[in-house]
Amino acid sequence: MDFELTKEQEARRQMFFDACKALEHKKPATMIGTETTFTIDECWEFHLYCAKEFAKKNWLALGWPPEYGGTGDIMDRVFFAEARGYYGIPGVDIFGVGMLAPTLLAAASEEIKREFLPPIAKAEVMWCELWSEPNAGSDLAVLSTTAIKKGDEYIINGQKTWNTGANRADWGFGVFKTDPAGRKHHNLTFILLDMKTPGVTVRPILYMTRETPFCEVYFDDVHVPAKNIVGQENEGWAVVNVLAGFERSGMGEVASMGRILEEVVEFLNETKRGGQPLAKDPIIRNRIAQLACELEAARTLSYRIADLQSRNEMALMDASAAKIFYSELGERFAFTMMDILGPSGLVKFSRWAPMQGHWERAAQECFVTTISMGTNEIQRNIIAWYGLGLPRMK
Amino acid sequence: MDLRFTEAQEILRKMARDFLATECPKSLIRELEQSEKGYSPELWKKMAELGWMGLVIPERYEGMGYTFQDLTVLAEEIGRNILPGPFICTVTSTFPIIEAGTEEQKKEFLPKIARGELILTAALLEAEGVFSPSGITVSATAKGDNFVINGTKLFVEMAHVANYIICAIRTRSGSQPEEGISLLIVDANTPGIKCEVIPTIADDKLCEVRFENVLVPRKNLLGKLDNAWPLVQMLLRKGAIIKCAESIGGMQACVEMTVAYSKERVQYDRPIGAFQALQHIMADMWTAMQTSRYLVYQAAWMESAGMPCEKQASMAKAYVNEAYKNLTKWAVRLHGAIGTTYDHDISLYYRRSKSADVAFGGTDFHREIVARQIGLA
Repeated sequence: MDFELTKEQEARRQMFFDACKALEHKKPATMIGTETTFTIDECWEFHLYCAKEFAKKNWLALGWPPEYGGTGDIMDRVFFAEARGYYGIPGVDIFGVGMLAPTLLAAASEEIKREFLPPIAKAEVMWCELWSEPNAGSDLAVLSTTAIKKGDEYIINGQKTWNTGANRADWGFGVFKTDPAGRKHHNLTFILLDMKTPGVTVRPILYMTRETPFCEVYFDDVHVPAKNIVGQENEGWAVVNVLAGFERSGMGEVASMGRILEEVVEFLNETKRGGQPLAKDPIIRNRIAQLACELEAARTLSYRIADLQSRNEMALMDASAAKIFYSELGERFAFTMMDILGPSGLVKFSRWAPMQGHWERAAQECFVTTISMGTNEIQRNIIAWYGLGLPRMK
Repeated sequence: MDLRFTEAQEILRKMARDFLATECPKSLIRELEQSEKGYSPELWKKMAELGWMGLVIPERYEGMGYTFQDLTVLAEEIGRNILPGPFICTVTSTFPIIEAGTEEQKKEFLPKIARGELILTAALLEAEGVFSPSGITVSATAKGDNFVINGTKLFVEMAHVANYIICAIRTRSGSQPEEGISLLIVDANTPGIKCEVIPTIADDKLCEVRFENVLVPRKNLLGKLDNAWPLVQMLLRKGAIIKCAESIGGMQACVEMTVAYSKERVQYDRPIGAFQALQHIMADMWTAMQTSRYLVYQAAWMESAGMPCEKQASMAKAYVNEAYKNLTKWAVRLHGAIGTTYDHDISLYYRRSKSADVAFGGTDFHREIVARQIGLA
């Protein structure tokens, strides 16, 4: 057993780090964490700029088969995520590149692949996901937004919600009820649609930060070409499961926290209280060291997932464990820093804010990772049911 | 990068697992806990025949010449089956001899250790119970060809059955606490040594060792006079990683036992494992184990490859200490009242998680190393 990268891998990892580092000085000062990509205009502009830069290097198609214009392998994807996480660089559409492209490669018809993959690789189209509804969250399969086939079109009516970046996306993908009388899990279809289609209304939701990372999307007789589906009609649930099965190593999130930890150490060494650096306080040392240990544990588990992925092995339990662990570590990190900072931890990005107001934001945005992409409670069910073989809830 | 065990490691692992399952049932563990010796000489002999004591001893000294990483694979299985006895203290005490022993010392001790003829232990702690250099106060003075030791060492594992004790002794008072520390190989049968077992939570035979004008020949000095602290640090680091490997083995056993029990135990007309309140705790136990596992594997790999890994080893020990204690706590609670009884296996693990925490440095000790290593002023 070894954790050592090959010389070639080291070189490629360095290449991704160098590229992201080169983009860092163009990053707007307001860009703190990934959510600002969606909430602040200049950050979205920076995201689009980075996306175009990465597209030029063909890095949005890492690990795709060569016949669809792919390049590199799974480890490249991991290194790239690590580099972007470390430098806080956007430019990879988490929905188009991260979720839809692998889904298309695994489940779509040749025609759909040929139509939709190239614009993703070229950063020409930005996507959003249309999953949850007001009454269908974790129990997604009970959703009620309908797409009724009429001729060579589906006509969509209903409402989706918690759609991150829907106000900025060009296209959306989601699951819709195409057979209202059909049985559960065999009545949904995975549909791709242009967000500019008449009848689509996107309404911003105010997050607790008073920004808009996510939206509600209303559908009022929205006509979508019937060919724009992934997988078989009424078998969209199987496609959802394909998508959910894509292993996420969490390397980007972990690398991002690793960089922030470095900045925290610097901050604690420089900031004095009672005439001595905060870093000398034994309680603070102990708490920060604890976070560092947990972060290293998260990092090694990410490597474990990447190692499995690179051999095309399933990492369902590990991926759920990693998601639970790094997201809750994010909470602990934010809560600990708010404790240490005291009143200045409450300050938003402004003159009196330590670390550009990172912690005021993190204390609110930590829910993004614990709740989205399958809540941590759902992840615990996955480990218990599919991993440990405990009886499934009916 | 390849995070799978090698084929040879898988063989070692399976052999160890099968051997311990047959030769070291939990009934024997309870018997040994209450015995005076605390280990089974018969089992010790069989382990020696398998080459375990000489696993990392070079072949030219009759060892197997395996790597440190291989040893952690074995330690994981030992922890899974919570094998009692002087195995871990013997192999960890062997490291300073392998690393810093003279050719003569190596020839004298290593083959006998490999053959299972010697039990070793290390005397590092004293009344303060800290692993920092300032905790070493027992001193030795030079007298002719001998050192003369006076004082009391504490919490010396299995010293009452050991043949030799590797003692960290103050041979000079320096301006810094790490200066003036030497390691001596002390024959446990030397006149003036009195040994007494201290009753402890895991019945793991931690001893009080009193030295009264104990003569140790100069040739038994291990490494450099007055400059053995780096050697002690090496022993602590390797010991910490081995203890971590044992702990992840223990965690694996506890997860398996708890999940199995929750599938059998029926309340409210269904197995208690069907309740989400319990399922989520078990999912968290699994997560705690798995996050520990690769942290430990990383440290073991680095140590084995000769890379500096003080930070990674301390991160592993600080993290695993807490994970193992917390996991065994939940394992007991999910078993309910039966889990709290002496005759239930889960309580054996719970008690050992406490001693594993303390061994080779507790959580706060290692967190302070981590704090320095990540650059806190």
